[in-house]
Amino acid sequence: MAAETSTASRADGRTLPGDINMWVFVLGDMVFFGAYCVIFMFYRTREQDMFLQSQRHLSLATGVINTLFLLTSSRFVALAVQAVRDGKHERATRLVGVGGLFGIAFVALKIHEWYVLSHHGFALSTNDFFMFYFALTAIHVFHVLLGMFVLGLVVRELRRDDLQRTWVVEAGATYWHMVDLIWVLLFAILYVMR
Amino acid sequence: MLAAASLWLASRSASVPPMKATAQWISLWLAAFFGAVMLVAFLIFPGFFPPMSPDWSAQHVADFYAHHATLIRASMVIFNLCGLMLVPFFMVIVYQMKRMATPTQVLAYCYLSAAVSGFTLFAIADLMWLIAAFRPLRDPQLVMLLNDLAWIIFTAPVGAIVAQNICLAIAVRLDARPVPVFPKWVGPFSLLIGAAIVPACCGAIFRSGPLAWNGLISFWLRIFAYGVYFVVMFVVLSKAIRREAAEA
Amino acid sequence: MSEAAIADKRDLWFCWWVLPFFYSFFGLIFVLLTRVMPPPSPHKTDAQIATFFHSHTTTIQIGFAILMVVIGGSGILNGFVAYEMKRMSVNPAFAYTYIATLAVGAIPGCLMCAFSFLAATFRPDRNVHIIAMLYDVALLTFVGSLGCFATQYLVLGIAVLLDKNQIFPKWFAYVSFWNVITELLAAPVFVFKKGPFSWNGAISFWEGTVIFVIYLNCFILLLRKAVQSQGATEVVAD
Repeated sequence: MAAETSTASRADGRTLPGDINMWVFVLGDMVFFGAYCVIFMFYRTREQDMFLQSQRHLSLATGVINTLFLLTSSRFVALAVQAVRDGKHERATRLVGVGGLFGIAFVALKIHEWYVLSHHGFALSTNDFFMFYFALTAIHVFHVLLGMFVLGLVVRELRRDDLQRTWVVEAGATYWHMVDLIWVLLFAILYVMR
Repeated sequence: MLAAASLWLASRSASVPPMKATAQWISLWLAAFFGAVMLVAFLIFPGFFPPMSPDWSAQHVADFYAHHATLIRASMVIFNLCGLMLVPFFMVIVYQMKRMATPTQVLAYCYLSAAVSGFTLFAIADLMWLIAAFRPLRDPQLVMLLNDLAWIIFTAPVGAIVAQNICLAIAVRLDARPVPVFPKWVGPFSLLIGAAIVPACCGAIFRSGPLAWNGLISFWLRIFAYGVYFVVMFVVLSKAIRREAAEA
Repeated sequence: MSEAAIADKRDLWFCWWVLPFFYSFFGLIFVLLTRVMPPPSPHKTDAQIATFFHSHTTTIQIGFAILMVVIGGSGILNGFVAYEMKRMSVNPAFAYTYIATLAVGAIPGCLMCAFSFLAATFRPDRNVHIIAMLYDVALLTFVGSLGCFATQYLVLGIAVLLDKNQIFPKWFAYVSFWNVITELLAAPVFVFKKGPFSWNGAISFWEGTVIFVIYLNCFILLLRKAVQSQGATEVVAD
């Protein structure tokens, strides 16, 4: 997957891409999302029929498109990291920009999905499934928006000749891949799992 | 201690101390003036002489608010407007603490933070009294609830002032100036005042006796200690400001 | 380190020692005495709530009376953290924001709960509907005072990230940011009366608390290091 690209240099460099501090955040955040999934599974096994019933109201197609958006976005950001390592900063800036556009597309489609669902009368308080659906996707969108800000910082870094530090770009990419990975996890448990 | 003092003087000598006395005097006299106005409000609030008993029935409390609505509103609006006018006075204490040759200025920030919380609580208690008096025909149970909350918030949360006085005491103790900003006795004096105020935390538990919110300790001793603290600190601060001006 | 050993830091060490004492009292009061943590269920009838207060009256009163005094410690902690933030190479606006948000936050986020519980236990003969309302006021303000704390975690985290003086390690900024996220996930407590997002729920309460405890332990140890590593010649601006 995309995450592999950014860790490709490990074999020779023997160092973690980005900085260790960002990894503390990323690994911690993944543990917490893991916990959310465990709690979700706990409630799901108690009311499996209701969860399956509710799941049918989600559009699998929308979920798939959104997953493709984020995977593509991650791919571009990974290519950008590669470009920075090769010293091609302008190319990297463009690639990060394209990655950001896919992120915006993700948020737009997500908002559209929420709008359609609430139009059909589904809300946070409808039942436990939609409670999890809205809360978890909202917190993920918060991560995506934070990610847009992070990508903005990366672009700023790349545009300034006096900066252009590789590790900053790598740290930003690490975060962005985590956002992607968390989405795949949520997509699996909310949309796909039968 | 001497090392801290010399270091402190070294960090000061670089900048010529400007005349900072005017704003401090204004702060002090603002507090004196509004303190006097609040004393009037304190005297005319019908619920303080004697303080309302926690043992009153709901109907009694509701009737009290109905009968004395005007004076309650007048005195509490004065508290509302003037209470926070005392903030500059405490900020002068913060400023003077920052002048002390203590190892760092951390205690001044602690004092500031605690003072903010303390004043917020006073403002909330005052609003509870005003809300209780707003609709005298409300269900007596609700009037009593608002009255309880007003008295509990007015009496019980003593932590802010206690923390302020502990910080002040430590700062005075550590002040390594040859002529200290505040005389050394201000330290134990602050602790004594703090100790006199601490038992009022029980005002939220007891409904009679000296620890109840209308009791000798929770009401009279606390208010008296606070008043003494204010007057004494006024004198101490005046002298400190004069000394600071003379040094400059 | 040798330099640091000479410096007089008695006031800083006083502030630091307030930390473990304050949080020990905090745990004692909220967990053992007043039963606010872990929170009792929001899914209760008015009569059950009255029974809850009835069976814990004495411990609630003792616990919150102590809190009325020890809450002053929070002011000392705010000042202490603000001082360490002023040592950072960032504008002191963040340090002052830290003081302001927490000086405000202590009241809705901690004391309002105490006042409501104290008012409820003050008159056990009060109308049960009023007692039930005080229960909601107490727990919703305690778990749901989101903004003051989220802002404080945010400015602390940003300050740590921007700081070039290495007062705190950078990873601590992210630990602080986790708490912003848990505050966001506590927002649904205003909707749900049971389940993971209620005020005693697995996500809104438990996960947030676990993260907070991790954060707090890191914070206490890092503050100790920050005090230790301050050199004797370091000058902190007014």
